[in-house]
Amino acid sequence: MEQLLAALFQLFEPTHLAFLFAGTLLGLIVGILPGMGGTSGLALVLPFVFTMEPSHALAMMIGVLAPTTTSDTFPAVLMGVPGTAGSQATVMDGFPLSKKGMAARALSAAFSASLLGGIFGAFILSISIYYAIPIIMAFGFGEQFLLVVLALLMVGALTGDNLFKGIASCFLGLIIGSIGTAPITGDPRYTFNTLYLLEGVPLVVVGLGLFAIPEIVGLLDAKGSIAKSLNTKKGWLTGLKDVVKNWFLVLRCSTLGCLVGALPGLGGTVVDWIAYSHLKQTTKDTSQFGKGDIRGVIAPESANNAKEGGALIPTLIFGIPGSGNKVLLLGGFVLIGIEPGLDMVTTNLDLTYLMIWSLAIANILGAGICMGFSSQISKFTLVPYYILAPVMVCLIFFATFNINRDWYDFIGLLSFGILGITFKNFGWSRPALLIGFFLSSKVELLSYQTQAVYGLSFLSRPVSIILIILCLATIVLLTKQKFDNNYRSDRIKGKLTQIYYIVILLYLPLSMIWFTSSLDYRANLFPISLSVIALSLLVFILIIKIAELKNLPFLNNTLMKFARSNIFEISGNFNNQLFYYLSFIGFLLMNFIFGFPIAAALFINIFILFHNRKAYVSSICISAVLMVILWSLSSLLTLQFPNGLIGLLIDLPWWLGGQMN
Amino acid sequence: MSLFSFVSIGNADVNFAGKTVTWVVPFKEGGGTSRFARFIQPFLKKYLPGNPDVQIMHIPGGGAIKGSNYFEKNAKADGTFIFGCSTSVIVNVATGNPLVKYNLSEYRPVVLLPQNTHWFTRSDLAEPHDLSKIKERKLVLYALKTPASADLFHIWIYEKLGIKGAKPIPGLSSSGGYQAFLRGEIHLSSHGAANYVKKVKPEIEKGKVVDLMTLGIIGADGSVSRNPLAPNAPTFPEMYEKVNGKKLEGDDLEAYYAIGAAWSQASKAMMLPADASDEIVKAYRDAAIKMTNDPEFKAKAVKALGPFPLIIGEEAGEIIKKAAVFSDTTKKQLNAALKKHRFTYRVQ
Repeated sequence: MEQLLAALFQLFEPTHLAFLFAGTLLGLIVGILPGMGGTSGLALVLPFVFTMEPSHALAMMIGVLAPTTTSDTFPAVLMGVPGTAGSQATVMDGFPLSKKGMAARALSAAFSASLLGGIFGAFILSISIYYAIPIIMAFGFGEQFLLVVLALLMVGALTGDNLFKGIASCFLGLIIGSIGTAPITGDPRYTFNTLYLLEGVPLVVVGLGLFAIPEIVGLLDAKGSIAKSLNTKKGWLTGLKDVVKNWFLVLRCSTLGCLVGALPGLGGTVVDWIAYSHLKQTTKDTSQFGKGDIRGVIAPESANNAKEGGALIPTLIFGIPGSGNKVLLLGGFVLIGIEPGLDMVTTNLDLTYLMIWSLAIANILGAGICMGFSSQISKFTLVPYYILAPVMVCLIFFATFNINRDWYDFIGLLSFGILGITFKNFGWSRPALLIGFFLSSKVELLSYQTQAVYGLSFLSRPVSIILIILCLATIVLLTKQKFDNNYRSDRIKGKLTQIYYIVILLYLPLSMIWFTSSLDYRANLFPISLSVIALSLLVFILIIKIAELKNLPFLNNTLMKFARSNIFEISGNFNNQLFYYLSFIGFLLMNFIFGFPIAAALFINIFILFHNRKAYVSSICISAVLMVILWSLSSLLTLQFPNGLIGLLIDLPWWLGGQMN
Repeated sequence: MSLFSFVSIGNADVNFAGKTVTWVVPFKEGGGTSRFARFIQPFLKKYLPGNPDVQIMHIPGGGAIKGSNYFEKNAKADGTFIFGCSTSVIVNVATGNPLVKYNLSEYRPVVLLPQNTHWFTRSDLAEPHDLSKIKERKLVLYALKTPASADLFHIWIYEKLGIKGAKPIPGLSSSGGYQAFLRGEIHLSSHGAANYVKKVKPEIEKGKVVDLMTLGIIGADGSVSRNPLAPNAPTFPEMYEKVNGKKLEGDDLEAYYAIGAAWSQASKAMMLPADASDEIVKAYRDAAIKMTNDPEFKAKAVKALGPFPLIIGEEAGEIIKKAAVFSDTTKKQLNAALKKHRFTYRVQ
């Protein structure tokens, strides 16, 4: 109790509060930008937190995570586009409400529900910390191994549009995660004798590539969707009253959000739908749903903020991410030297409390700012995306370079970028890939450790049995709810591309088997088993897709219906997105020639002027402002700009990419 | 680089006024070497002639090889570049990692910070300071991060003490291993001094855990004394004698000294590049000696760095050479232990 209060006082020191506030602001902005969520936001700050003191870094990281699910309501209500994956269900009723002129009511209900949900989540988290020690002691290698495997299964089964594509995504992630030094024997796996791959692909590169880049090109592609400005000043009080009237719904959905969040690996993409369908099932009069029922906004919003607290439980005590963005948070823990587990509830308890308070306060701050400055903030949704996009690309490149100051990271970023774009367009699961990638080494080690200590007997331990039953029950329950609505397959174009794509994906497991087959069996058993499973899944999906394309009759029984549902994805204009992606490669080449500062200024101006020839005033202003921000950041944190070929020939000052000293 | 050393020969008065010293740490922020550097940093500024700014530059990656190679390639010999070394940096060299491009044994050490390893077990498995029950067990599990790290020495230690059932569980960090130990999944565990005081001592007081031994503190003359944090626990040479009935000598003693130098005596170190002039090395060593007499340093050092006094001066250079260059017999011994446990990794 004393530590709980001490952490609160610590948080109220001006420096901590400043970092929390900065994080919260960034989180709000990231949440408003459609598609960008906590994962991209955290990936952007991670390269910089390792210069900070651990408690500052934690305040900032939690600050980024907490409010994204609050501010994501702006685009959901005003544009009908979810701001993060967690607000898809909010669109269902939020957008109709806004069309009816009740945007303010919807927003205010959403913010206050978010606020309550967020605080509820922090509260549950702080209680569960008290009971964590016996849980940690009861979870040996075997139980942890099961927990990780079951988490992966759940993520695979539930975050994709198609069950099998989701699980296959998970295995592809596991395979990518096994690149690097083999933990048992120290053999290099799939590294092609480079130092770069020896420690595996950096997490931030994967996070930014998989999540930020596809969203940017996706929104550039869908450039039509620009919001109308928020003109209603009335309705704020009505929204508040709605929440008070539905207090029991808020409580139920917060509990639900917390629970689903605490299931390892889940959260994020499913929790809002679960809350929404819970609402539907428990309401008598469902006639208004989808047409603008305020409860349709309250339920998912309270759940998706409550899940943050719940998701921190497995993250902190087992190091198993509770949702996609917690992967990045764990990556941040490594950077600042914190190891999840027993330490978090004993010697590092003060840091845990600091995170809990940060979570609560960031939620209050976030909701407060959203309410207080709603008309100003909503203008963000008016900014054309061709202006935001190049700025974001520059920030991503700057962040990427500062992970390791390594040019290879750019290649990694763009490779994972194209992987992310195709995954998104062709309906594969990016969260499953990310979590698989992150947990890969853990799965491998735990399997060896379990085998050494227990053999197969771990399966008969009581906790293991409970875990297996719980997991299967969850998957069955949730899949039933989730796969209710299918796409109509006949509306989808470009099916052939999606079939060819699998053939490309097959390359990864095949080459992994090829390159590791000569190693010691303890170094290649894991990647080869993964590859074999991935190959079978991919071939199975390939067969289903071809059968679906040719409309073969054997797909028409009930069992196969499950496998074929959403096997193809409605894609945006893929070629268009590819075109934007190529412009990022152009930016990389510019970096290579001119160095980052000149390349960034050029890129922003060219990009904006290409879309709107008259916007030269704003393009020049924006590039100038960005440069000033980057210059001050770099002198504050002693960060280096990537230096280009020109910089090698002429001695440039540091602000153009030259040496710092 | 040679140009700079030429300049510094003619300049006996070393003065860093207005300069910035870059301290390259080949690890992530927050690790032991980074904390060591952070603690020393303000004192260095205070006592180096001219009070230069000291900035710490973290270059993690490649198992500390990336940052170390960076230092070898980019460090100027004029005293504006120093290197934060640790056991793993040394082990990379000593075990002949082919990616190593840094010539560590020629570097000029300024300060060494010794550490010491404590071994312990659960109280239901053995009496304090007594291995006999452990040796009878068929299976004695212990944590081993990877055989390519300093943890490799555990394999050798248990081998020499004749613990036949010893079996390493790979991929466990020291904190993860200690958690598994507390859960009762592994039988032997070890910790450095800082974590021993913070995490193990309370369990010993509760009667759940008992001390077995420590690595022992190796003096400049080669004598080994007990660790003041666990004065009743025997050192490894004492335990060796008790188990094997003969004194630790010959090849085994040589291997023990090499392991002790890398693992314990040079646990953390601050170094200048190989071609730094004697004047610069002296300026740094003088600053380090002044630092150890600083009342603020005295007040905080035990808590921040542990109870073992810093090693400063020529003695430090000898220790680094011993730690970084393993003799063929020592390598043979380590490889034999690795082979016995069916590791494919070999010390080169």
